Amino acid sequence: MTSPKRLSQEHQRSLQRRLKAGDEHALGELFDLVAPWILGLAFRILQDEDEAEDVVGDVFVQVWRHIDQHDGGRGPLVPWILSIARNRSLDSLRRRRRWWRKSAHLEQAQVMEVGGSAPAGSHEAAVPGWPVHREVHAALAALSEEQRRVVVLSYFEGLSHREIAQRLHLPLGTVKTRLRMAHQTLTEGLRHLKDWVE
Amino acid sequence: MTDWLGLSAAPRTPRPELKGRVLARALAPRRRWRGPLAAAAMITLVMGGGGGAWWAYRTIGTLTTERDGLVARVHALEDTVSTFIHGPATRLIQIPVSTGGRVGSVTIFADSVRHRWLVRCDGLAPNARDQAYQLWFITDSGMTTAAVMPMDEDKPMVMALEMPRGGEGDPRVLGAAMSIEPRAGSASPSGPMVFHRLL
Repeated sequence: MTSPKRLSQEHQRSLQRRLKAGDEHALGELFDLVAPWILGLAFRILQDEDEAEDVVGDVFVQVWRHIDQHDGGRGPLVPWILSIARNRSLDSLRRRRRWWRKSAHLEQAQVMEVGGSAPAGSHEAAVPGWPVHREVHAALAALSEEQRRVVVLSYFEGLSHREIAQRLHLPLGTVKTRLRMAHQTLTEGLRHLKDWVE
Repeated sequence: MTDWLGLSAAPRTPRPELKGRVLARALAPRRRWRGPLAAAAMITLVMGGGGGAWWAYRTIGTLTTERDGLVARVHALEDTVSTFIHGPATRLIQIPVSTGGRVGSVTIFADSVRHRWLVRCDGLAPNARDQAYQLWFITDSGMTTAAVMPMDEDKPMVMALEMPRGGEGDPRVLGAAMSIEPRAGSASPSGPMVFHRLL
């Protein structure tokens, strides 16, 4: 396995400053660092390579034009970018016409993906942030099947509590309870993560 | 918690051409029509603002003229009413009337010095569309019309009337009457009498 690429916090702060200053090379560096994760997240949600690539484009346009809206004091850069990617992906998912057919594929893929350890080729393991991915993936996999299912439907499909309850034929209160417990477990398990860098 | 959840998805290596495409899109200059569009919007705003200011100027001028006219009319009416109410020769006659099953009144301030009446009607039923109230002077030579008063709304009515002076060749007013007549009025009372009162 290739050793994961590291990114120092100072390097990341410098990158952020350069982006805010309009340094185009910084945007290229950022692409190298986070594009695989954005593409992975978008593909996980959309299950479509072309649409996922469109999301990557949308995300970088938004980051480049609105980098000033990111408040470094409120959190690191990568989770902010991931939240943009997730929102764009969910927007795209909602617009999609053939929702239910894609959704069936999605559920099948999710069951396969979170069911065991994440498959990692040497190439993927070289992606920056891989250690954090392993930890987040492990924390999600450590949830009970019931909790993981509601988290996946909420986060990756953007369903509301009521929609999850309808999808799983569960009482609304049960869904809320499972999400709350999952949230507590994940928060506890990922508390030490301050950034995706060491 | 959800800050990091996106990293639970497995990364995917972008196709080599994606980076160039994405960066070109992100770094592309903002659309060129935005500048002209902003300029057009500004021009529209300025023209709209200028037009609005001119319209406001004209409207304010019209309203000011109208207000001045109303003020003058109110002052004239105040003078008239004051004259009637406070004049030493003014007689006050109040006549209860019943119209359309309703009880109302006609109040006459009669100024025998200036030969003018101020008539106020309260509680009269509104007329049918083809009818009107007609006020009559009762004179020593018969009934002569004083005023035709169409009442379409249920609200008080006030009017000032010049009365015959009773001089040479002029009939002397003995009283007042009111009847319901055709809308255009009648030469002599022909409809139902509302009141008939000698002063």
